[in-house]
Amino acid sequence: MSRRSFVKGAAAGLAGLAISPSLQAKSKPKGVAGNFSVLDASKPGGIDLYIERKDLLIDGKVGRPITINGSIPGPVIRMKEGREALMRVHNRLGESTSIHWHGMLVPFNMDGVPGISFPGIDPGETFTYKFDVRQNGTYWYHSHTGLQEQLGHYGQLIVEPEDDDPVDYDVEHTIVLSDWTFEDPTTAFKKLKTMEGYYNFQRPTIANLDDQVKATDKGLMEVIGKRLNWDWMRMDPTDIADITGSTYTYLLNGRSARENPTFTAEPGQKVRFRITNAATMSYFDFRIPGLPMTVVNADGQNVEPVETDELRIAVAETYDVVVTLPDDKAYTVFAEAMDRSGYARGTLAPKEGMAAKVPELRRRPMLTMADMGMVHGSMKMAKKAMGGEMEMAKPVKYEAHDEAKVSPIKNRTELPVKDLPTMVEHGPDEHGPGSITMAKNAYRQFDEPGVGLGDDNRRVLSYGQLKVLETPKDRRPPTREINLHLTGNMHQYIWGFNGKKWSESQMIRFKYGERLRINMINDTMMNHPIHLHGMWMDLYVGHEYGKNPRKHTVNVQPAELLTVDITADAPGQWAFHCHLLYHMKAGMFRTVAVVRDLEGEPIDAEA
Amino acid sequence: MLKLEHAAVMTLVALCVAAPSSTVWAQEVEKSEEGVEKGEEEVDGGEEDVGGGEEEDQGPLLPEGMTLDEVLDRAEKPAPEDFPDPVPDDQFRFFLLVDQLEYRYDLEDEPDQVGTELQGYVGGDYNRLWLKSEGEAGWQGDAGFEGESENDLVYGRLISPFWHAQIGAQYANEWTEDKYEDIWAGALALQGLAPGMFELDASLYVTQNLNMLADLEAEYDIRITQRLVFQPRVELSFAAQDIEERGIGVGLTKVVGDLRLRYEVLREFAPYVGARYQGLTFETADLAEAEGEDTSRFFVLGGVRFAVY
Repeated sequence: MSRRSFVKGAAAGLAGLAISPSLQAKSKPKGVAGNFSVLDASKPGGIDLYIERKDLLIDGKVGRPITINGSIPGPVIRMKEGREALMRVHNRLGESTSIHWHGMLVPFNMDGVPGISFPGIDPGETFTYKFDVRQNGTYWYHSHTGLQEQLGHYGQLIVEPEDDDPVDYDVEHTIVLSDWTFEDPTTAFKKLKTMEGYYNFQRPTIANLDDQVKATDKGLMEVIGKRLNWDWMRMDPTDIADITGSTYTYLLNGRSARENPTFTAEPGQKVRFRITNAATMSYFDFRIPGLPMTVVNADGQNVEPVETDELRIAVAETYDVVVTLPDDKAYTVFAEAMDRSGYARGTLAPKEGMAAKVPELRRRPMLTMADMGMVHGSMKMAKKAMGGEMEMAKPVKYEAHDEAKVSPIKNRTELPVKDLPTMVEHGPDEHGPGSITMAKNAYRQFDEPGVGLGDDNRRVLSYGQLKVLETPKDRRPPTREINLHLTGNMHQYIWGFNGKKWSESQMIRFKYGERLRINMINDTMMNHPIHLHGMWMDLYVGHEYGKNPRKHTVNVQPAELLTVDITADAPGQWAFHCHLLYHMKAGMFRTVAVVRDLEGEPIDAEA
Repeated sequence: MLKLEHAAVMTLVALCVAAPSSTVWAQEVEKSEEGVEKGEEEVDGGEEDVGGGEEEDQGPLLPEGMTLDEVLDRAEKPAPEDFPDPVPDDQFRFFLLVDQLEYRYDLEDEPDQVGTELQGYVGGDYNRLWLKSEGEAGWQGDAGFEGESENDLVYGRLISPFWHAQIGAQYANEWTEDKYEDIWAGALALQGLAPGMFELDASLYVTQNLNMLADLEAEYDIRITQRLVFQPRVELSFAAQDIEERGIGVGLTKVVGDLRLRYEVLREFAPYVGARYQGLTFETADLAEAEGEDTSRFFVLGGVRFAVY
C-alpha cells in the first residue's frame, strides 16, 4: 500500500466521524468526543500532547473527560520503525498524569508508569518522551495514573514498518473501543469495594428463571438446583463483568452506537481495521455480520493470516483485521460487551449516511462448573484437555512462586517447549483471605473461544490459531519457571497474585538476559488480561516453538493454565499487572525487576 | 527454598516426557548469557525453531546517559523517595449501611415503634473499625417516650475470604421518661457470608457484671427481579444465666423474625415494606408474664434502607 492511499483512507475515516446534524444542533457550544487528529511522532521536532479536562458531548450528553489535544480518544500517533520518536507531554490537569506506550519496547524511564519508571508528570509540567523505535504494528497509549484511563486518557499508536508491510490492504481505519461512564471513577471503585455486584443487573432471579433455563439448556429443577449450588459456594454465575452497561456507554472512536461512526471504502477495496480495546473493564466480541475477517496482526505482531467471523478482544489487546467490502452496501461493525449489557457499533460503507441492520444482543452467558475447574462436571472440558480422548489428564502441581525467595539456579536445564501439561491441580495453599480459590484444577484453554462464544455456528478466533508470521530472534527454551496464581476475593474486591496485593508483595526478579517461563494459573472465575511492560511474552499455544504468538497482553480465562516465555532483555524495573483498571487499582499488580543476578546466584556463572 | 527446588525438580520430571538434548542446549544458553552480560546479546542460531530475526541486534534500550551497569544497579533498588506508589491498593475507606430505618405499626394494642439498624466501618481490606448499632423507641402512652439500643464498636480483621473476626465493646441502654439505664459489655463477634449466601453475625458479650449473653443474626436475599428483593431475617438472643433485674432468663431469651420486601431504586437506596414477629421465650417469657407484659408482638412495617460511602 502506498502512503498516499493511507492518507486518503485516514481522511475518509475522519470525515466519516463527522457528527450527525441532529446532534450538532444540540451541541453547538461544546465539542464532541471522537474528533481526533493524526500526529507523526517521528517527524523532526516531534509532537506536543496537551492533557486537559474539557467538557465534551459524549453520546449527546455533556461529560468532562480527560482529553489529549482536545479529544477522546487522543490523536492517533504514528511512528516510523528505525527512527526516533519524540513526544512532549504537557500536563494541564490539576493532578499528576502520565502516558504509557502500551506494547512499546522503551528504556525503562520512558515507560510512563508513575512509581516505577518515573515520578509522574506534575500539573503544569512537561515531560519529554524520546526513544528509538525498534518494532512496528498497531499499539496504543494511555495514562498509568490513578483511574485516568476511565476518563478518556488513551489513543491509538501505529508504527509503520521500515521494510515492506506484509499485509495487503487498500485503506486502513482506526478502531478504538472503550467504555465511558458519567460517574466519577473513584465513586465507581468505592461501589465495587463496598457493594458486591453493584453494576450487575443480569443476575439470576426468580423472574428470569425461564431465561436461565434457556441460557444453560437445563430443566427448571436442575436450574434451581444449580442456583442453590452456586449460592452454597457464595458465587454468582453471572459475574461476567464488574462494571456493565448499567453505567457504561460503549464507545467506538469516542462515538456511541447511536452516533454510528462510519468508515468508508470503495467496493472491492481491502480494508484494514486496526482495533484497540482501550476499555478499562470491558471485553468486546467483535464482528462485521456478513463479512469474514482475516486476522493479520495481534498485539502489533504480524501473524499468519487466519479467517474468522468473530473475535473476542480482551482489554488492552490489539488486533488488525482485513475485510473486503464486497458491494456498495453498508455493513455493521459490531462490538458486543462480553456480558451482553451493551455494545459499540459503527458502519463500513461506500459512503456516509448509510447503515445496516444492527444485530440483537445475544443472551447473557452464565459461567459453568468448568469455569471453576471442576473437571468431572464437564465432559467437554475433559475431552479438550485430552485432545479428544476420554481418559483423564493427570494434573501436575505447581507451587505458588514466593517472591521473597528467589531460588538459585545452579544447574539450569531447558524446560520443554512442546506438549506441556494440559492441567494443573491446585496445591494446598489457599492464598489467605485475599483469595477465594475456586478453581481446583486449571487447564489449557488456548483453543477455547471463551464464555458465551462458539455456540452459534460462527467461527471464533482462539489463541491457538495465532502463529507469528516471522519467528522472533530469541526462541531459546527457558531455563527457569515462575508459577503465578491469579487470585481475587470478589466478595471484598481484593485482587492480586498468589493472594497478595502489590502493597504486600516484593518485586519479581528476572535475571538480565535469561529466558524464563511464567505459568499463570487463574484461580478466579473472571477473565484477566495480564500485561507485561518492556518485554514480550511468547504465548504457549502448542505450535512449533518458533510459531507461538508473541504478545504484550494475554487473556487468562477462568480456571485457565496459561504459559508464557520471556526473554529478560530489558534492564530496569517494569510493571506487570491485570489490565482491568479496577483490578489493578485493587492490587493485581507487581513490579518486575530485571537485575544483574538473582540472589544466591553468582554473577559469573563459572565462579 | 528446598521445598521450592524440590517442587521445581518434580515439575521438571513430570514435564520431561521426551528430554531434549540438554547438554547441547546448556552450552548454548551459557554462551548466550555471557554474551548478554558483556552487553552484546548474541543471537543464537541454535535449533531450527530459533528464528530468522526480524530485528537487528542493537543491544538493550537504555535511558539516555546511563550505562547498562547503572541501569542494572538501579533495578536492584527500591523506588526513589519522590516516586508515588504505582497502585495505592491499601487505602482506607468509609462505608455506612443503614439496613433498617422504619416505622413499625403494632397489630395489637401495644404502641408503635420506630426502629433502626445500621453498621459502618472505616479501614482497609483486612483491618477495620466497625460500628454496629440497633435500636427501637416508641410512645408508650402516658408513660412517654421509651426506647433501647445496642451499640457495638469493634475492631475487625478479615481472617478468611468471607469472615471478619471482631473484638471490642458494646454499650447498651434503655430509657423511659424518668429512668436511664445502661450497661457495658466486652464483645467478640464473627461476621460474614456463610455458605448458601446467608449473611451471618454471631456475637458473644460479657457484661460489666460478668454475665454472658449471645446474639445470632442471619439474613438472606432472594432476588425476585433485578431490583426487587425479598429478605427473610432472624435474630436469636441467648443468655448463659438469669439476670433478673433485666428480666432475662437463662437459655434462648428472644426471637425476632422479619420479612422485608425492598425495591432497589439504587443499590444504595431501597424503600421497603415488611412484617415483624418478636417474641420472648422460655424463662424470659415467664418473667415477662409475671410482670403482666405481653410476650409476643406483631408489626407491619415500612422504611428505607440506604448506604453512605
